[in-house]
Amino acid sequence: MNDWIAIGAFATIALLIPVGMVAASWLLRPTVPERHKRAIYESGEVPTGDTRVRFNIQYYMVALLFVVFDIETVLLFPWALVYTDAIGEVGLFHALAPMLLFVFILMVGLAWAWRNGAVSWARSPQADRRRATNQ
Amino acid sequence: MLQAVLQTDTVLLPERLVDLLRLGEFGVVGEFIAGLIAAFLVANIMLIMTAIAGPWAKRKIRARFTDAIAVNRVGPAGLLIIIADAVRLMSKEIIVPEGVDRPAWELAPIVVALSALLGFAVIPMGSGIHVADPEVGVVFVFAVASLASIGLVMGGYASNNKFSMLGGLRAVAQNIAYEIPLVLVAASVVIFAGSLQMSEIVAAQQDTLISLGVVDIPMWFAIINPFAFVLFLAANMAEIGRNPFDTPEAPNEIVAGYQTEYSGIYFVLFYLGEFIHIFLGGAIIATLFLGGPAGPGPESLGFVWFLVKIWAVFLLTQWMRSAVPRVRIDQLIEIGWKGLLVLSFLNLILTALIVGVITV
Repeated sequence: MNDWIAIGAFATIALLIPVGMVAASWLLRPTVPERHKRAIYESGEVPTGDTRVRFNIQYYMVALLFVVFDIETVLLFPWALVYTDAIGEVGLFHALAPMLLFVFILMVGLAWAWRNGAVSWARSPQADRRRATNQ
Repeated sequence: MLQAVLQTDTVLLPERLVDLLRLGEFGVVGEFIAGLIAAFLVANIMLIMTAIAGPWAKRKIRARFTDAIAVNRVGPAGLLIIIADAVRLMSKEIIVPEGVDRPAWELAPIVVALSALLGFAVIPMGSGIHVADPEVGVVFVFAVASLASIGLVMGGYASNNKFSMLGGLRAVAQNIAYEIPLVLVAASVVIFAGSLQMSEIVAAQQDTLISLGVVDIPMWFAIINPFAFVLFLAANMAEIGRNPFDTPEAPNEIVAGYQTEYSGIYFVLFYLGEFIHIFLGGAIIATLFLGGPAGPGPESLGFVWFLVKIWAVFLLTQWMRSAVPRVRIDQLIEIGWKGLLVLSFLNLILTALIVGVITV
């Protein structure tokens, strides 16, 4: 029996359950729209400015690093899978050394990113100055 | 060689249903129907567990830690609060805030709940409850579980709220930072087991490591490699967004993070998704490190042992919630990229070396 048929069936159920809950709630819940009720929550104040605020560049840097390391984990899995068999066929050195080299190159990359501050939180001098004057 | 010995003939739940209900003559359609029934059973087990955990167990556990009483008015030990809360939350009005991105705002909770539920498709739960067993089980479960980040960032961005947007960004930064240590530690388990298939990873942990008189210490990977186990627990805590890594919803910084603007049933779906995610994390820990449904007693008790293990992980998350402070977002990024990532690479290399020396 094909496993992916069962997984497809599971996905159908996993989609139907939340949709069914929304539908059941739709039958039960009241709808009383009022203008002020629908206001965006900003600690009780009238919302100010645009929602799409400027945010720390760190979120972007981290996402870039993630792409590199995620692809790397994808490449590591096949190796992890055949590793024990490969030792029997080509010996420990030939099974392990290429992956050590691969991981070493990645660690050099991480060290480079580390030294350049890609993995430590970016501080904005402007914001720091503003905070200092406000106090 | 090793795998061939460990390979066991596991009968999956849909296959058994096909035999039981004589769906074999309908071919693929019959298999799909059997899959639907099996999935419905497993998903409902998870929903019931969430219903117990969310409105009742969570409050009771927290109350024990803080010397309070918590829910005790409705029913014995406050248990009927589950029904009261379910009715209350189902019948609540949904307030749609001004200027939300309509389709994305409504799809986000569904994506979160779906991603958490779908992970259970490949988890062997013992007593023959196992819906599917593809050869890439480990990869599948991580891939599906990390779909939740998309739902979180969707909800955060579509809500038209500054707190929500920051929460969504934090959630995604955290999930991607801790995803890599998580998957790398799982790769070290794959080296031990020599397979990505969930049933074979469980089978690889069945043997006895050492016998201490009457007690047999099993070959669970948590016992073979405690270092990897601790790393995985920590990364998993961040992946499911619990203390000390609950920065995405940090109530005293950004209100409720990505779910600030959600009310009624959509809030329930977010909440449900989070709880099922905790249980999914527990199920992955149980499968990869704690021998899945293994435990003393007959094999039919497997499901009970499985539940004990995932509730133990749930209890751990609640204990952490009461006992440890939250890390700041900058500390979180640094712990993930400078600490856990390097340690998980070390763990992988050490595991490879040890396995290599043993095999040679």
